This record gives sequence, structure tokens and C-alpha cells, in this order.
Amino acid sequence: MDFSWTKQQTELRDAIRAFARGSLNEGLVERDREGIFNRAGWDACAKMGIHGLCVPEEYGGLGFDALTTVGALEALGEGSRDNGLSFSINAHMWTAEMPLLAFGTPEQKAKYLPRLVSGEWIGGNAMSEPGSGSDAYSLRTTAIRQGDHYVLNGSKTFISNGNVADLLLVFATVDPAKGARGVSAFLVEKGTSGLQVGKKLDKMGMRTSPMAELFFDDLRVPVENRLGKEGAGKNLFTDSMTWERGCILAPAVGAMQRLLDACLAYSRQRKQFGESIGNFQLVASKLVDMKLRVETARSLLYQAAWKKDQGKSIFLEAALAKLWISESWVACAQEAIQIHGGYGYMTEYEIERELRDATGSKLYSGTSEIQRTIIAPLLSV
Amino acid sequence: MPDQNAIMAATKSFILSEFLEGEDPDELTEDVELISSGILDSLATLKLVTHLENTYDIKIEAHEADEDNLNTLVDIAKLVASKL
Repeated sequence: MDFSWTKQQTELRDAIRAFARGSLNEGLVERDREGIFNRAGWDACAKMGIHGLCVPEEYGGLGFDALTTVGALEALGEGSRDNGLSFSINAHMWTAEMPLLAFGTPEQKAKYLPRLVSGEWIGGNAMSEPGSGSDAYSLRTTAIRQGDHYVLNGSKTFISNGNVADLLLVFATVDPAKGARGVSAFLVEKGTSGLQVGKKLDKMGMRTSPMAELFFDDLRVPVENRLGKEGAGKNLFTDSMTWERGCILAPAVGAMQRLLDACLAYSRQRKQFGESIGNFQLVASKLVDMKLRVETARSLLYQAAWKKDQGKSIFLEAALAKLWISESWVACAQEAIQIHGGYGYMTEYEIERELRDATGSKLYSGTSEIQRTIIAPLLSV
Repeated sequence: MPDQNAIMAATKSFILSEFLEGEDPDELTEDVELISSGILDSLATLKLVTHLENTYDIKIEAHEADEDNLNTLVDIAKLVASKL
């Protein structure tokens, strides 16, 4: 068992961390306050190759394996404090690019992947509806076949990148009576007649990652834009969600390391009662707990990616990683505020935002409760 | 290398122990519909895929893990045998 990175992997991680630290943090307090997506930062990340880390070179990507990819994304999260931008990039990668890679026809891949990898196009994934969240397959958006088109009607909510996306992967049922077996996936381009982008949704954290409602009013989608077979939506969503659960919190591990480093520096520098607060055991124990959470979160992240690279399914490992990293990120952010005291509560210190950003991670890609619901039967409980 | 009959027998044993505990083994014939009948729900299907991958050291691709390939013991045995 070898836990070390290769020279190439180390150089990649160092380059991305330095780029992110130097290019993605300026003006973040204001962008967070106003809920502004950093399109220039998005484009800069694309130029660094981040959007195509694990996309084959024939589509313009870097063709890295899953472990190298999550290592690079961890470095992105460590260097960039803009967790919303990292989240948007990850949503684009795991819920648009990867389903295209796994289920797309050669024509679909050739048409869309180069644009997504280059960052020219932004991808999004439209599954959740007002009445279907954790019970995803109870969706009500319909897709009725009419000749060489499907006609979609319905609505979606909580769609990450929804109001900036150029390509949306929309899930709809071709036959509600079939339940999950009727769910199918469709590639919908921005500007298609019948697609209406609703209001931008204002939220607690990840405020620099845009989110919107979508409405479909007789939206006509060519049959060649169906992704996978008719009724394959459930299968496709399971695959996409497994990638998402296993990898989407890679930047969060980097963010936790960044928080720990900030807390260590503050604990050395901040003096109370004539000595550094890190000398007080109650503060030191919080630092130890943070370190433990970072290391265990990192291990679960790497394990899921490594096993994926071995050609195995990672249903269990991805759910474990998602559950533990999200809960650890929230706990670390809470401890970071506590260690910084009143300063940690102030917006300008940029610690309180971390807690707001982290909180959503226990909800998206399946709540913590759903992760436990997945994990338990896989243990043969 | 196990043949399709051996794969079917082993898979039947796994399904009986994991998802149909206490049921009459004779009722789980090779053409019983596992997914479309609801014997295997979403999570059970994930568990079956993981079991097959680990037992036979194979990779079941995302687009293969569906009703077309996993709905009966015969379907499962064909899929696994094609990868050995």
C-alpha cells in the first residue's frame, strides 16, 4: 500500500493550489454577499484544465484517473476560498460530463464534451422537483414521444448552475405508471423553445454557485438528445450520483485543511492570559479533532477514488465518503468559528462563510440520512 | 472458470440469503423476474452488482446494471459469463 503522490501528481496539485490561491479569492466577500457567480474564475479554471481533469484527451480533457482528479480538486478547495465556484465546477463535472461519458453516443460526446471541458459551456443536472427530493424517482415531469421528438412538461427546483447552464441533463418520465423504470434523461440546450429559467434562488451558503428553478412548457427535445435508452434514467442517475457522492466533496477536504491551517496560525498568534490560546488544552483539543476529521475525510475520499480506478463499483465507499466529509466539514467550520471567537463570527474574517457553505453539503447529493439509508443495507444489516 | 449454471446457482444462493430469507428456494426459478417484480429494489440491485464484481472479479458498467441484464438468474449468469 503506497500513500504517496507521484512527482507529476504533486506538481499538478501544487500548481492548482497556487493558481487558486492567487486567482480565485479576490472580491469573494462581496460576491458572496451579492450572490455573484465568478464567470472569469470559471474560465480561468477551465484554462488550467480543471473542468476536464478526468475526461479523455480525445475530448480535450487531461484524462487523469479518479484518484489524481480528486487530489487536484482537493488542491483547488485548499487554494480557493470560493467554495461556491468549486461546487459549480464539480456539479458540471460529475452530473453533466460523467453521465455523457458513461451513457452518451459517440455523436453526443463529440458534440458536447469539448465545449464542457473548455468551459465555454456550463453543464447542469435537473432532477429535483418541488415534490420529489430524496424520493427522486417520484418525479412528475413528463416526456411524451411525438415522432422524432419528446415533448417535456413539468418543473424542476434547486438546480445548481440552472440559470447559467448552456446544457442541462433533464430527467423526466416517459410513463408515470412504470415508476422508476419510466425515468429517462434528456440533453437540453439553453435557449430551446419551451425552456424557461425561473428566478435565481437565494440561499444560506454556496451563494456564489448559482441555483434556479426550471420550467418546461411543451419543451421539444429531439430523440437524438435522449441520453441512454428510454427508461435508463434511473440507472444513469445512480451512476452519476455515485460519482457525485464519491468526488464532489474533494474540494471540501481541501477547505477543511485550509481551515485547520488558519486555526493553527491563529492559535499560535492570538494571546490571552499572557500566552498563545493554542497552549490551552480546550483549544488544542479542538485542533486535534479538526486534524482527525481532515485526515479521516481525506482517507475516505482517496479510498473511493482509488477503488473506482480499480474498476469496481463504489456504492458503499461513495456514500461513506459523502456522509463523513460533509459532517466533518460542518464540524470543522464550527470549531474554526469557536477558536476564532468573535472574530470568527465576523464576515470580514471569512470563517463564518465556511460554516454557511459547509451546511449544504449535508443536503445535496443525498442528505446525510439518505447516505445512512444507502450504507446500512450494503452492510447486510 | 464457472459456467452459467454454476453462476446461476451461486447467485440464487446469494439472493435467497440476502433478500429472500425464509422463502422457498424452489420458487426462485431461473426465469423469475427479480427487478420488474420488485424482489430487487434500487439498493438491493447495488448490493447484487457489488457482490458479482467482488465474487467474479469483473466490472459491471453503469449502463449494464439494468433490467435488461439483471432481471433473471439467466440474465445475470449471461452477463457475468460474458465477462469471464
